[in-house]
Amino acid sequence: MRVILESKVRKKPNIPIEAEAIIPRNFLKGTDLLVYEGNKERTLSELFWIFVEGTAVSPENIEVVLKGDTSRIKRVGEYMDTGSILISGDIGMHCGNFMSGGTIEILGNADAWLGREMRGGTILCRGNAGHYCATGYRGEKKGMQGGRVEVFGSAGDFCAEYLAGGEVRVHGSVGDFPGVEMRGGQLIIDGDATRPCANMKDGIGVIFGRVHEMIPTFEKVERRVIPEWNITADVYRGDIANRGKGTLMVKTAGSE
Amino acid sequence: MTEILVKNACVIDPIRGINGDIMDIAIRDGRIVESVSDRAELIDAHRCLTLPGGIDSHTHVCGTKVNFGRYMSPEDMRAGRTRRHGRMHVTSGYYVPTTFGNSYRYSAMGYTTLLEGAMAPLEARHTHEEFTATPHQDMLANTLFDGNWAVMDAVREKNIPKTAAIVGWTLNAVKGYAIKLTNPGGTEAWGWGEDLTSIHEQVPHFEVTPAEIITTMIRANELLRLPHSVHLHCNNLGKPGNYQTTLDTFDLVPDLNPDRQTLYATHVQFHAYGGGTWRNICSKAEDITRSINSKPQIVMDMGQIMFCRTMTMTADGPMEFNLHCLHHNKWSNHDVELETGSGIIPVTYSKKSAVNCIMWAIGLELALLTKNPWQCLLETDNPNGAPFVKYPEVIGLLMSKRYRDEECATLHADTERRTSLFALEREMDWHDIAVMTRAGQAKALGIVNQGKGHLGAGAEADIAIYPIRTDSVDPAREYRKVVEGFQKTRFTIKRGRVVSRDGEIIVDGANATFWTNARIPEDIRVDNDPEFIRRFQEFYTVRMSNYPVQDLYLPRGRRVDTEAFP
Amino acid sequence: MIVNDVVCPFCGCLCDDLELEVEGNRILRVQNGCSLSEATFMNDARLPAPIRRTTSGWEEIPYEEAVKETADILRDADRPLLYGWSSTHGETQSVGVHIAERIGAVIDNTSTVCHGPSILAIQEVGHPGCTLGQVKNRADVIIYWGCNPIEAHPRHMSRYTTFATGFFVPDAQRERTIIVVDTRRNDSGGIADEFVQIEPGGDYAVLSALRAIVRGKESIIPQKVAGIAKEQLIRIAGICTNAKFGAIFFGLGLTMSRGKYKNVRNAIELTDELNRHTKFVISPMRGHGNVYGSNEVFTWMTGYPFAVDFARGIAFYNPGETTAVDILRRGECDAALIVASDPGANFPRAAAEHLAKIPTVLVDPHVNATTPLSRIQIPCTAAGIDAAGTAYRMDGVPIRLRKVIDRGYPDDAEILKKIYDRLNGELGP
Repeated sequence: MRVILESKVRKKPNIPIEAEAIIPRNFLKGTDLLVYEGNKERTLSELFWIFVEGTAVSPENIEVVLKGDTSRIKRVGEYMDTGSILISGDIGMHCGNFMSGGTIEILGNADAWLGREMRGGTILCRGNAGHYCATGYRGEKKGMQGGRVEVFGSAGDFCAEYLAGGEVRVHGSVGDFPGVEMRGGQLIIDGDATRPCANMKDGIGVIFGRVHEMIPTFEKVERRVIPEWNITADVYRGDIANRGKGTLMVKTAGSE
Repeated sequence: MTEILVKNACVIDPIRGINGDIMDIAIRDGRIVESVSDRAELIDAHRCLTLPGGIDSHTHVCGTKVNFGRYMSPEDMRAGRTRRHGRMHVTSGYYVPTTFGNSYRYSAMGYTTLLEGAMAPLEARHTHEEFTATPHQDMLANTLFDGNWAVMDAVREKNIPKTAAIVGWTLNAVKGYAIKLTNPGGTEAWGWGEDLTSIHEQVPHFEVTPAEIITTMIRANELLRLPHSVHLHCNNLGKPGNYQTTLDTFDLVPDLNPDRQTLYATHVQFHAYGGGTWRNICSKAEDITRSINSKPQIVMDMGQIMFCRTMTMTADGPMEFNLHCLHHNKWSNHDVELETGSGIIPVTYSKKSAVNCIMWAIGLELALLTKNPWQCLLETDNPNGAPFVKYPEVIGLLMSKRYRDEECATLHADTERRTSLFALEREMDWHDIAVMTRAGQAKALGIVNQGKGHLGAGAEADIAIYPIRTDSVDPAREYRKVVEGFQKTRFTIKRGRVVSRDGEIIVDGANATFWTNARIPEDIRVDNDPEFIRRFQEFYTVRMSNYPVQDLYLPRGRRVDTEAFP
Repeated sequence: MIVNDVVCPFCGCLCDDLELEVEGNRILRVQNGCSLSEATFMNDARLPAPIRRTTSGWEEIPYEEAVKETADILRDADRPLLYGWSSTHGETQSVGVHIAERIGAVIDNTSTVCHGPSILAIQEVGHPGCTLGQVKNRADVIIYWGCNPIEAHPRHMSRYTTFATGFFVPDAQRERTIIVVDTRRNDSGGIADEFVQIEPGGDYAVLSALRAIVRGKESIIPQKVAGIAKEQLIRIAGICTNAKFGAIFFGLGLTMSRGKYKNVRNAIELTDELNRHTKFVISPMRGHGNVYGSNEVFTWMTGYPFAVDFARGIAFYNPGETTAVDILRRGECDAALIVASDPGANFPRAAAEHLAKIPTVLVDPHVNATTPLSRIQIPCTAAGIDAAGTAYRMDGVPIRLRKVIDRGYPDDAEILKKIYDRLNGELGP
């Protein structure tokens, strides 16, 4: 079953919409869902043109497609456990919060907190991701715990903060402090990174591009070939300031 | 004039010796009276268990360190959120709820009076502001003196009247109710990052020992004729082997008061550990209760822990830092100049930890092994042992051996041989529970003559009607019903108004705050003492004239005068 | 008439030893205070009456009309923003929270442009601190990091640190070691025993290095970190571990430079590490007189110290999303109530400009840079001058501000209560 939601033009297009009801499972019961525009409650049909193709008896066969200007729609895919969501354009904050299964694909850019506190499933962002991609919530000791987030463009600051499990891969560059406070999982950055893996306790960070401002409390262990990535990298242990036992690998210039 | 008649209540009122009579309760203008007119609003209790409103004699709900606990824990705040509706404001928080959250949840459980476990005099204004925002319970404040410079000087001089004068002035100035000592002397040592390991070790510079502070303050307390006794959090909290400190402390306590205990020892579970390391820690509840059973001058409360994540917050700064070094959780510290300290750190009590299982067992042992329920009251040192919403589960465990056995079967394998809980058969009855959750507190806090803790004519109409039919529930077998029954009253009546109905708050609150005013003779009043004034102005960072809490912070203050220095 | 022990409401020091000479409803003289307090009490030109913008300028309107129109503006909004709160007293702040809860608004205070990052850091690692008197009476090592107390908190050093006589530190100037860390040598750096010049944006790296050195891992540190030689870092770490009682005070140099809350977090974690060796505390230098009060009030009422969003009926907190600057920058709100602050002066331009595009009401005694962006301004009392109420000092100590004179203005708490009652009455249960 495919549910196509095309966003309608709004009188006040800057008021954010919270649409945590948009997860594949919820469409089993129909399209009579509630979303929120600022402090006002709206029905899905007030804010979207809705087209349904086919039927489904179980949620893993439901695909939800978002079209139109969806850049201010938050919390799409929150607590999603199965099925798929395809976002044709940009998506608002908190896309895929607490996700545990299924797939979200964003063809445009994602706003902040993509995949927050994710536990499983897959998020693919073809464009750029904002700040706090694949992170946790304020005050929690663990952020993302499982699943996979892949950003084909670049990501903002604090990418994968508090990463505890799963895999985050950014094909482009990232901003400041990627992998800060990480304690598990894998963070792979094809592009450049500034101050990577600061205060790391555990886990693995791999940077293919240039590192700006390496944290001074990482201890270089060796330079060696990393067969699974087919590169030569400087391997560091750290963050010593934090009693950390994490691994940070930085590809050396001029290696494959 | 508002009148209510509660009919067909199954009343247990230990202070008045009533144990399960079906009776009516007449209420007029906030007080219980002999009878009311036939225009009275009728509430039919349908023979349900009706008790005086719950009284919590040691809980951390208001003030600087509680608020620290809240704002450093956004992850807890989002765990317990409710929306605004009707008379109820938004609430947040599970183990450190917002003030409205605390008030509504306590009210749903039938609690109408709370003693805030720790208030630093310098920051009392903050506590009183939060009292006003905890609108459905009358409040009292334990006032911290454990690291008080003026007090320690007077103790060193062995000057009991002067000690009393300082305490009396301070309680009056900050509208406190009682003397609280937390790790006496230790909080001053913590000002330098140190702690004391024995009650006979001297506080750096001040040359007094915890034993001297405790014994002098006990005598000062009685000289002031304060309604409550000294309220003590013993030294060495949480350390394996600390039971000896506790026993030695208990041995210091004379019997100076015919109406109530001379010492209230709080959350004793944390002070009942044998062994010497985390590996060989064991329960010494038997030794502790043997002492309590022979000392009617001491009342304690359990300090029960439950298996959950929660927040520890006490004035025991060094203890909190040790926990931080052990578990590496986020840690806050707040020492208060010339007075006391505090530390705040989240913890998780888990069945996988042998130590935590032993702690859980000890709290229950203390209650079950204390012969007289008036001497062991039900608390969790909220939130240190567990959030107060877990009280009904504690009640269930005390009343049902079967419930205990089922829980014991899921504990760490080492627990059985290191505590005596598994062998204890005692099951508390409804009367015992009524004592341990209200009547005992009222007596220990000295508020019976303020009309609290009983349902006789003249009492304040604070009443909790629980959806429990004592004639048709067997608490030993049907513990689930017991737990559910105590979680939510049918009605909670506060000063003659129904404030909570099936967990729903239906009116805005108008709570009162009790504080003590001891009349001190002019010639020893400290505000007439130029040396006291000089030291105050020189070493505090606020002016003495800006220190006292103005009357308007207590919109409905209830001053309790005492004839000190008889 | 002389009034003693007056509390200055201007900055987070909340000095309470001022002596004011008052005649009628005028303050003639301020003694004991700094130049900022003199300006606060003496240069107190007020907007005389509520004003509303017209096409040609401004017109004066009665208070009742101003209140009614404000309630209308807030009631209809889909995403109203209530901002400010830092220069008024606790009762007003409480009413503000009640209004926000009632209408599903976002409520935020000036932490958002000041020590919000400190709060975020505290939410990650806690706050090992104390009241200022502990520092005064015990500290032999004081570090000012990324702040300039001589200018921003002029009496901080004389009341609480460098020059203050303490019980255990009677010969303050001789016995205390003052370290100043900053990107350039300012007046505060001028009086330091040791000045540490740090490259802009280098605080995080230096703090990490210091932590490692305190842990005994100096061998892994490079020869220079952010422009500071390793020898100096080792010396500073040594001064700290050998202190009897150390206190770190920090300001916008940490909170507003690159990394923001991570800088503060690293400073707190350094303090934690030092506590394994000796006694160390850390404290933010709060700017506004009662911004900490707004944090405290917001927290006990909602669970969160700033940036609280009630749009969904519960309290939701997410700085970066629910903070006023971000909401304004994204053009998200459609009405604003500004109380006791000046976002027009303090916010980035793009954010402040949005206030002019929506109906904005300013409740503040003074004409300020937010006035031209507002539709209505309602003058009121100034807490600590003609209104009494609770304020929280930078270390959390609550002090009652006094009402020293009466200038005939309504208390802002009263104004807000009237707005709340109107909203409550019209919105139903």
